[in-house]
Parts: sequence; C-alpha cells; structure tokens
Amino acid sequence: MRKAAAAIVGSGSTPYYFRGQSAPQTQYELIGKAIIAAIADAGLMVEDIDGIVSYAHGFEASNIVEMLGIPELSYAATVTGQGGGSAGVLDLASSAIESGRAQTVVCIGCSQQLGAHRYGTSLASLATTPLAVFSLFSGLVGPGPSMALIAQRHMHKYGTRREAFAEVVMASRDYAMNMPEAIRKKPLTLDEYFAAPMLADPLCRLDFCLETDAALAFVVTSAERARDLRQKPVYIEGAAHGGGSDWGRAFFWLNMEDDVFASAGAERVARQVYERAGVTPEDIDVALIYDHFSPLVVMQLEDYGFCKRGEGGAFVESGAIRPGGAIPVNPHGGHLSECYVIGMTHIREAVEQLRGVAHNQVPDARFALITGGPAPVPMSAAILRN
Amino acid sequence: MKSTAPDITQIPLPIDQWTQPFWDAAARHELVMPRCAACQTWRWPPTPFCPKCRSQELEWMPAGRPRLYSYTIVRRPGPNPDDPAQIVVPGLVEFPEAGGMRFVAAIVESEVEAIRIGAPLTVGWTPKDGTNVPVFSLG
Repeated sequence: MRKAAAAIVGSGSTPYYFRGQSAPQTQYELIGKAIIAAIADAGLMVEDIDGIVSYAHGFEASNIVEMLGIPELSYAATVTGQGGGSAGVLDLASSAIESGRAQTVVCIGCSQQLGAHRYGTSLASLATTPLAVFSLFSGLVGPGPSMALIAQRHMHKYGTRREAFAEVVMASRDYAMNMPEAIRKKPLTLDEYFAAPMLADPLCRLDFCLETDAALAFVVTSAERARDLRQKPVYIEGAAHGGGSDWGRAFFWLNMEDDVFASAGAERVARQVYERAGVTPEDIDVALIYDHFSPLVVMQLEDYGFCKRGEGGAFVESGAIRPGGAIPVNPHGGHLSECYVIGMTHIREAVEQLRGVAHNQVPDARFALITGGPAPVPMSAAILRN
Repeated sequence: MKSTAPDITQIPLPIDQWTQPFWDAAARHELVMPRCAACQTWRWPPTPFCPKCRSQELEWMPAGRPRLYSYTIVRRPGPNPDDPAQIVVPGLVEFPEAGGMRFVAAIVESEVEAIRIGAPLTVGWTPKDGTNVPVFSLG
C-alpha cells in the first residue's frame, strides 16, 4: 500500500434545506459559511487557505477569495462533468498537496435551486444546440428519463427487478431515520414504493433523488501536518477522475458502447481508484455511492466490483447494502433520503464514518469508497482511510 | 392507450454545418446516418472528427431498418385539468444496418402495452421549420 500524501482535516456544512428554502441566503453566502465551518473544524484560520477546488457548478474561486479575504491562492481548479466529477475534488486537492503547489486546500460543493431553476428539468433548460435538439424533440425532459433508458436496458439484459430499486430506496430511508437533518425520514414499505406514481418507466417518483440546498466544504492538507491538527486525520488513500470514449457524454449521448450501456460507466475510474489506493473491493468497509437515481446504485455496485456485472439487483435484494451486509451503502441516507448536494454529503459521511462519529456508524470502518455520479466523463471516485 | 407526440412547436431548430445534411435529407423524408468516408466507422451524432481515424470527411448513408433499443414512458398532465394524462415515449432507436448507431426520438401512435425492447419500428415525419423531425411507431 502506498503512503497517503494528503488527508481531510476539516469538514463543514450549512444546514440542509429543501429546494429553495435556503433563501434569502445567496449561493456565495452558503459557500462562505461552509468554508468557515470547515476551517474551524480543522482548527485553522481562513488566512491559511492557499488552494480552492470545486466541482463545476456555477461559482468561481475569485469571488470566494474576495468575499472571505483569502490573502494568497497558489492553486485553484475545478472538476467538470455533470456530477460525475464530484469526488474528483479530492483528487485535485491531493494533487495540489502532493505536488507542493498548496498546503491548505478547501474543497467546495454547493447546490441551491431558487425559483424556476431546477435540476429536474436541466436537459430542457440546456441551450438548444444543433446536437441537443434531438433529445428535446424526443421528449427527454430531464435526467430521469435518460437514466430510465439505461435502467430499462439493465432490466432487459439481466432480469433486474424493480424490487431491487425499491430496496435501494427503502434502505436509504431506514438509514435516514437516524440522521438529524434528513429531509425524508418516514419509513417506506414495498407496497408504498409500488404505489408511487411512475415518472419515467421503470422509474417512479421515489427513484429520483431529493432537490435540496446546502453548501459543504472540506479542508485537505498534507498527511504529515494532519497528524498535528485537532481532528483524527482521514487520509485520501486514492482518488481518481477519468473515463473513456466508450462512455463519453453518457446520457447526453446514448451511443455508449453496447457492453457498457447498461452500466454506470464507472469501470475505468473504479480500476484507477483501486490501483491508486492499492486496495480491492473486499477492503472497503462502507461505500458512499452517488445515488441520484436508485438503479444507478445497483449498477455502480457492479462497476466497483462488489458483485458481478448483471448481478447487482439480486445482490441488493439480498440485503447486502444494509447494516451488517456485505457492503453497507450510504449510511447517511444519501441523496435519495437525506440531502442532495452533488455528492458532497457523501464525502462528509465518509469523513464521519472514519472519524468514528457517524450517526449510523459502521463498526471499525477503516476504508470508505466515495463515488461521483454516473454522468459524462470525467467520472470520479475516492478511497479514504483512517 | 396510445403514445402521443411531444409538442415541439416551441423548440427552435438550430442547425450547423455538421447536422445540415441530416436535415436536408429529412426534408426529403430520408433518414440518413453519417459514416466516416476514410475508414467507414459509423458515428452519431455527426461530430467534426472520426473518433477512430480523425478524418473529417463524412458520407451520409441510408439508416436502414430501425428497432427499439430502449425506451421510457413519461406521463404528462393534459392541456386542461380534466384531460387524461398524455403519454410520451422517448425511445432509443437502433439502426443495425448503420453500425448499430442509436438515435433518440419519440415513439408515437403506438399501444404502450405493446412497446418492447427489440421491436421493429417504422419512421414517420413531423413537419418543422422547412424540414421534418423523425418520429417512430411500432410495426
């Protein structure tokens, strides 16, 4: 195993809000609060920050430097990629630390949906370009129907059942019941799942993640310095962001190669992150799987090697993602039940699991996997260790 | 219940030099797919380079017989509160004779219960801005 060069030493968040309820706070205000909280958690000062990394989501390092009076940045970078890049912030941060370009990097993620701006219609609100018109003419109005095309194909090819998608949602709901800030806390039965309105077959309303507002920030520094700071260090054992031409723009393209179409497109980045961390799926104690749509959790479990291709449905239905199962998944309730901030709450949960202070603590958790969303390249992932 | 066509009247139709040949053919009710003129690799959409050999030369070929690769069923409220929900079926249409390229389009006027992956399809055309938008139905 390679020696980790960087560690997460601070974690901060605003409260979690249902979509729109963070108003009248502005997006930068939310980001500023998260950064100040993360820096305080680390026992550092805002003046110490010399690197800012983010997943591309409509905010700029320049505004943050000016707003918080950060004296001097020596590193600023953004991962692209429609949610796929979210865990990639940890790759950028550790790159900055390893290369010596920065000593104290904050990773930022923020989601705020005010007024008519909603992710659920994000395909329809895309600029009508010469290539985007084909999707618009077909009636694909949001990411959900596009994911449905993939889920439908997985069911056709492997016999995956809606019961598997239901189990992903029910497990997330059971975990969320212990989470103080979870948006959806009511337990969910299989009958209730099947009674929910269908939005885009085979997806019902409950297969879609929440739409929520919050900002989160994480402080990354060198592993050596981390040992002298106030929090138990959470080492970035490996992080990666990448992908190939067989996946490309994913659901904006829909011409992914046939053998990867009914997948989460994460096999390449999974191989990269396991190689960098020097571990295998058997070593992972808790998995924070990007859950924008429940079927894609099933497919990521395949891509990340927790079960074989095509067996994700049966694997999930066996109880594997529950407490004490083969691989507990999203003990914070994830995007489906707790809060959706484009993957950032998954990083927070991984940190809390490895500090040993999580609300649904996985006993003796040592390695946590975090995945970015199945989405256009680059997709991303990180493996953390305590 | 039968699937209906999505309302596309409010969606503009921007065209660039790479998609122009597709819409020129569609105006003649011809469904065509691009293929690299240098190495015969099919691609969709018509991006500016062949991803295999980087040539920019394209030849537009008949797409051949379509079949359904995947689909979803989207229910939308009707135009008036008491109207029944409209069913729109975005489909992923595969062209086995054009390298298996897939084209996303509405599956219209088809019995929703009969829609299946692998089903053969027939192309139809919806007039739009001097050309036609392809739609597909079962059969």
